[in-house]
Amino acid sequence: MPETAVETKTEEQLATPWNVVVHNDPVNLMSYVTMVFQKVFGYSRDRATRHMLEVHHLGRSIVWTGAREQAELYVQQLHGHLLQATLERSEGC
Amino acid sequence: MLIRKWKQKAIEFSRIERIEAELLKQVPVCCEFDEGSSAAARLFPSPTGASDRDLLRDWDEFVRPELRHLFVSAKKTVQEDLGSLKMKVGHLGRFLVPLEHAERWLNALNQARLVLAAKFEFSEAELSAFEPPKTFSQRELVLHQINFYAAIQERIIEILTASDEKTR
Repeated sequence: MPETAVETKTEEQLATPWNVVVHNDPVNLMSYVTMVFQKVFGYSRDRATRHMLEVHHLGRSIVWTGAREQAELYVQQLHGHLLQATLERSEGC
Repeated sequence: MLIRKWKQKAIEFSRIERIEAELLKQVPVCCEFDEGSSAAARLFPSPTGASDRDLLRDWDEFVRPELRHLFVSAKKTVQEDLGSLKMKVGHLGRFLVPLEHAERWLNALNQARLVLAAKFEFSEAELSAFEPPKTFSQRELVLHQINFYAAIQERIIEILTASDEKTR
């Protein structure tokens, strides 16, 4: 039975969408944050700028939603660029 | 100091004053931090706001060493590039950063700024109030130098005034 439980949890984790959230940071330059969003997610300059402004004005922005494994990878890449990013379960799931 | 693209393959830093050279050479040094410090916490933030023990354990074991390697590698690149910056008496400095090093420079400069901001506990308001100069002229730098000396004078006056009041 424990094996089934583990498997169920894994399936649940895989099925649940996860958010990649970027948090405001007074040190990172706005232009740098925009550039990182373009590079990591392949966003257009407009979309990257929208997310950057959301971070700047609202303190955070959900920059991507999807499978947990990919979300973890994105958080790692964002940390590699020294942005403050976290992973959180998508609301309503 | 002038920073511009050079022959589509490098970034040229030229007309570098001695004080600017010193500040540039401080970049890798400024990236240094103590384990367990606020600077370390800022460079290696938690990947989650929740207490997800499995994720945190895996992150510490697998991701942080990779991030550490990335940061050290960026710092080393900057250090090596700066090795070609030789200042001679009476001359301005110059050196080139290959374009493929640009991201590592951005990374190292960011590390330095984050570490300094964390070490010196700058508030968001303090950091936001600073307006970067439009040009990087000697005059702009001297103004910073003057303000720096003024801040030291203010501090000495503050200390003297405080000790004067105590003796009254």
